[in-house]
Amino acid sequence: MSALLRANILADFAFYRRSRLLLAFAVVCLLLTGLSALPAVFSDSGVQSFRSLQAVFSTLNGMLLFLAGAIGLFVISSHLRSRCLKMVFTKPCSPGVWLGSAFLSAVLISLSLNALILGGAVILSLIWHVPVRAALVFISTDNFIVSVGIIAYLMLLATLLHPALAVTFILIFNAEMFYSFDVWTQGAIRAGNSSLYLRVFEKLFHLFYLLLPMVNPFEQKLENVHSSMRVAHAEWKYLVYSLGYVLTLSAFCYFLALFALQRKRHI
Amino acid sequence: MIVADDVRVEFRRGLLRGKVRALNGLSLEVRDGDFFALVGQNGAGKSTAMYCFLGLMKPTSGKIEVMGRVPELGSPLNAGVAYLPEEPHYHLYLTVEEATRYYASLYGKRVSDKAIHEALDRLGLAQFKSLPLSKCSKGMKQKVGIAQCLIHETRLLFLDEPTRGLDPLIVREFRETLRELHQRGATIVMNTHVLSEIEMLANRVAIVDGGKVIAQDDLRNFLTTDRELYSVTFEANGSVPEYLGSAQRSGNLVTGSIPKERLYDFMEFARISGLSVHECSLKKTSLEDSFFKIVKGTGSGA
Repeated sequence: MSALLRANILADFAFYRRSRLLLAFAVVCLLLTGLSALPAVFSDSGVQSFRSLQAVFSTLNGMLLFLAGAIGLFVISSHLRSRCLKMVFTKPCSPGVWLGSAFLSAVLISLSLNALILGGAVILSLIWHVPVRAALVFISTDNFIVSVGIIAYLMLLATLLHPALAVTFILIFNAEMFYSFDVWTQGAIRAGNSSLYLRVFEKLFHLFYLLLPMVNPFEQKLENVHSSMRVAHAEWKYLVYSLGYVLTLSAFCYFLALFALQRKRHI
Repeated sequence: MIVADDVRVEFRRGLLRGKVRALNGLSLEVRDGDFFALVGQNGAGKSTAMYCFLGLMKPTSGKIEVMGRVPELGSPLNAGVAYLPEEPHYHLYLTVEEATRYYASLYGKRVSDKAIHEALDRLGLAQFKSLPLSKCSKGMKQKVGIAQCLIHETRLLFLDEPTRGLDPLIVREFRETLRELHQRGATIVMNTHVLSEIEMLANRVAIVDGGKVIAQDDLRNFLTTDRELYSVTFEANGSVPEYLGSAQRSGNLVTGSIPKERLYDFMEFARISGLSVHECSLKKTSLEDSFFKIVKGTGSGA
């Protein structure tokens, strides 16, 4: 089993290394980050340096989430579309092992990039004379946990849909969007609109909100940590909750994707 | 080694399209050590049958057993199985060496660098080991597929039209490698349209038509020798004997058949006319003749 996992993970690493799409995406991330770091380069102010560090760190973390999603999506869709999985499944390597390896490889890439970004943020703090804060570790860990959920969800979508449809689906059908629709319809009902359609829509939006996975379930609670770059002792527990949520989501996505993968005709 | 009994496969090609019946009661038996060829027209069901043997497709009904077990995706049963697809659907982002190592590692055993390099050397791929598969020719990709069989002891090898699109030189090398694998004890199941290749390699043949096997026998029983007819090829500028049957002329070269009792008459005719005879032998039925006879329904099977 470990030999199979290792072989598949190494092959996936080669895929990430040589994927031009992922490379282009990484270059765009670096360019954007470079632009957001420019003000700090020309400033002597400590406040400006802090803000630039915050901007660079949050831009990179945000880009990393997109990159993690892209990795999860492409590693599945590219293999399915090139129909090369018949070379894997006609050997003693089950779809479960292959899917698990793809997930682990994407998670390892995300972990390495998160560590790299954290390391970069620490180095920038030292260069710009900004105190190194524990919130950097907190935000990086949170970002990594969120990326794991995104990877798992996009892997599931990639096994079910064409990659373009998967991206469209995640952009339209996401919990945040249905939450805001739900709040809006609830507000309209409370304001006296008793239309039957509105009530049906409210129930529907609420149902979608409950069914669809959340990218970051504790985003609102941790907003303060991101803006102030300070983390209170009591806030560390949210990382554990977040991890629990993401592991459950990942397991659900894994088994559903495996079910779909086993029923596909790999010919 | 492989038993298929009344296997039927039906599937839909799209939501709104009707059902396609790919296999319609296919039954066959491949014995341990066979070099088994599946022959048939396009769409006869050869590839579908192979997908079922590999577990890539599940039959709608019927029974398939490969090495005593029902084939499944990624099953431990595949430890002795290798497959070379018709189209080179390989991991194109890997290099020749990486792909060889990857496919060999998927058998779950540690693969030494020495074994990889020996296999690449043996197949003439050593100088291309750093070349990505996306830049390799089809022949080179097929060799990467073959390399896994040299690294591990393959008990059962499936080949789906392995020589299609390969140049004659590579076809010859490939044939030699297959012979070697067969001699080492591997059972080989091959789909192909190249009947001459089957005559050179296989020992058993199944003719598939309309999703079922319409004839299955040892190759030698498809290749009979007609003792009543002689096949002759000669150069003729003028007339040809009236007893020459199925005559075909290409330039001044004439090919045809003559009855056994007119052989001496033909020799006399050749002497008097000063014909240059290229060939004169008992007429043999090729696999192609048998195939057409059986598929067109003019024969009763081998």
